[in-house]
Amino acid sequence: MNYNWNWGIYWQQSPEGTGTYAMLLLSGLQWTIITALCAWVIALAIGSTVGVMRTLPSKWANRFAGAWIELFRNIPILVQLFLWFFVLPELLPKTMGTALKQLPNAPFYIAVVGLGFATSARVAVQVAAGVKSLPRGQTMAGYALGLSTAQTYQHVLLPMAFRIVLPPLTSEFLNLIKNTSVALTIGLLELTFRARTMQEYSFQVFEAFTAATVLYLILNVLVVFGARALERSVAVPGYMGGGK
Amino acid sequence: MDIIISFLGFFVSLIVGILQFLIPNFDGDVVNRSWQYLFFEGMRFTLLLTLLATVLGIALGTVIALMRLSGIAPLVWFATGYTTLFRSLPLVLVIFWFYFLLPYIGAWAWGMDRPMTVGAFNSALVTFTLFEAAYFAEIMRAGIQSIPKGQAAAGHALGLNYRQVMTTIVLPQAFRNMLPVLLTQTIVLFQDTSLVYVLALTDFLGAASKVAQRDGRLVEMYLFAAVIYFIVSFSLSLLVKRLQDRVAIIR
Amino acid sequence: MPMIEIKNVSKAYGAFKVLTNCTTSVDKGDVVVVCGPSGSGKSTLIKTVNGLEPFQSGDIVVDGISLSDSKTNLSKLRSRVGMVFQNFELFPHLSIMDNLCLSQQKVLGRDRAASEAKGKALLERVGLSAQAVKFPGQLSGGQQQRVAIARALAMDPICMLFDEPTSALDPEMVNEVLDVMVALAKEGMTMMVVTHEMGFARKVADRVIFMDRGEIVEDATKDDFFGKPRSERAQTFLSKILQH
Repeated sequence: MNYNWNWGIYWQQSPEGTGTYAMLLLSGLQWTIITALCAWVIALAIGSTVGVMRTLPSKWANRFAGAWIELFRNIPILVQLFLWFFVLPELLPKTMGTALKQLPNAPFYIAVVGLGFATSARVAVQVAAGVKSLPRGQTMAGYALGLSTAQTYQHVLLPMAFRIVLPPLTSEFLNLIKNTSVALTIGLLELTFRARTMQEYSFQVFEAFTAATVLYLILNVLVVFGARALERSVAVPGYMGGGK
Repeated sequence: MDIIISFLGFFVSLIVGILQFLIPNFDGDVVNRSWQYLFFEGMRFTLLLTLLATVLGIALGTVIALMRLSGIAPLVWFATGYTTLFRSLPLVLVIFWFYFLLPYIGAWAWGMDRPMTVGAFNSALVTFTLFEAAYFAEIMRAGIQSIPKGQAAAGHALGLNYRQVMTTIVLPQAFRNMLPVLLTQTIVLFQDTSLVYVLALTDFLGAASKVAQRDGRLVEMYLFAAVIYFIVSFSLSLLVKRLQDRVAIIR
Repeated sequence: MPMIEIKNVSKAYGAFKVLTNCTTSVDKGDVVVVCGPSGSGKSTLIKTVNGLEPFQSGDIVVDGISLSDSKTNLSKLRSRVGMVFQNFELFPHLSIMDNLCLSQQKVLGRDRAASEAKGKALLERVGLSAQAVKFPGQLSGGQQQRVAIARALAMDPICMLFDEPTSALDPEMVNEVLDVMVALAKEGMTMMVVTHEMGFARKVADRVIFMDRGEIVEDATKDDFFGKPRSERAQTFLSKILQH
């Protein structure tokens, strides 16, 4: 096989002049993490709201939430990002559109919003499932005490629902981290993009992508461990293995 | 064949009309000129890749699931490692991996001294098959584990060997039980194929993108592409739901 | 004026009639026991009193306030009517004290100190002072139900509704809950109790209502009901239940 192995490539300076290849990859990792976290905040906020709407007795809320979920679930993430990045600026009033296109770090903001909205649909499905899995009696007990619908959701239903869906929500967060790589198509300088850049400059294909692979795996492990710690800390004593 | 073309053409005009009504300055003409290319080149590629990767992926995934459940340590380790690895990595990264590595792997495997030319479609097919197989493996594993052990025991008691028990008793039932989940994963695969964009391949999105850039009409092409993807995915998911309801009734 | 008036209430799910022309009343300080075979609608009837189950025709008036009046503040009404559920329905993620304080603070607007004082006093009354910091999952069924009674009493209700309070309990825990209910009755609380526990009925009930297939078949004083029930269905039911 005609391939020059060079594991020392990481410590060589990248032609971009910003540092070593290792630093290039780490900067990509940074963008991956920050994009994922910011998008997750949006996904949680919108997704929880839509998920709650899916469980409300109001037909209107139900239909809207259903439509939201189907819309973002049935369009590929790449296409969604293209709509946000290429189409939205054209549909906005002229001044806003131009401002958006000239925004520094536009790929980052678009990626955060695009990934946030796309993931919000999946969060909504989980939150709705969590609320629906609770016994009907809990809602009735809340109402019987005089709590309003909002209070019942806030103090009775959602605290338990979120605990129940922590594992699938963790999966969705991991999916979000992986999906940040799709944003390289709109110019986000995340990890996969940087690995590709390193490969283009140095021709060390194997080394470049191995590093990216290892970094994604480490990130995965850290998130899984973090999630388990979170699950343990919020576990309810005496309920579902929360421990007495 | 002509009926399909006319029907598609009518359908496209309908969508263009609606989009033109909703979006100001929407010039539907570019879609009307290019939709045949989009569907007969792009969508054909997308569907071909989806179908092949699904069939091969389920086949491979089933084998991996069986390895995982075999109880034989090296097989279990391999299967677990395989699924964990591919499910932890972004598909884009895996696409790049195989695109750049397959020529070298091919050369090494076939004893050539220069990297083998693989071609972008083949590279994509290998990528999607191997990648989705990890997901199909987990689905099939759940399916196989849901079959009561008594079924296999009855088969063995009748004198059937492992291969026969699996192929005639367990796997058919597992497959039927997991059909809705397998189909849902296929819909995910269908959407994932859009990522071949990073290899500049002409799938449906790639075709739309090429026309968009050539004619300078990104808004029209990307909106049209989004609508088509939505219609296909949503319709398929409705079919899956219908299938699930019918299975639920039978139970 | 009776505390609770149920006037010609009917409820149906599509073609299925759950309640048919139910009419009865509960005077202040009375204890009314509702019994009948399963599916007779007794749980549904009691849940219409605090509006947890809507009804299609008729009216219910609680302390002069009509449930069919659109101007009625349902939340306020519910805060004055206490309810105890078959499955206790304590909120698992809150400590016992928090369970007792939640609705006091959120619905009645009491401050934390006053709510806790009230909670403490009630826990003592039901014999569970030591459990204040525990969580529902750590208590037995009988203990949870006593807390549920305390939680309802914390709202200073004008009447209490019990929906099969001991049906989900192991036999050895039934008495600890019934004792609390008997004490409550003796203190003059207006109570409407759906139950199979005829011993309890004989002890403290003023009237007994027998329901079958959505209708109130018999509505008599305790002595009349147990002495000489007028309807054949009630007689059959009693003979089956009182064999123990």
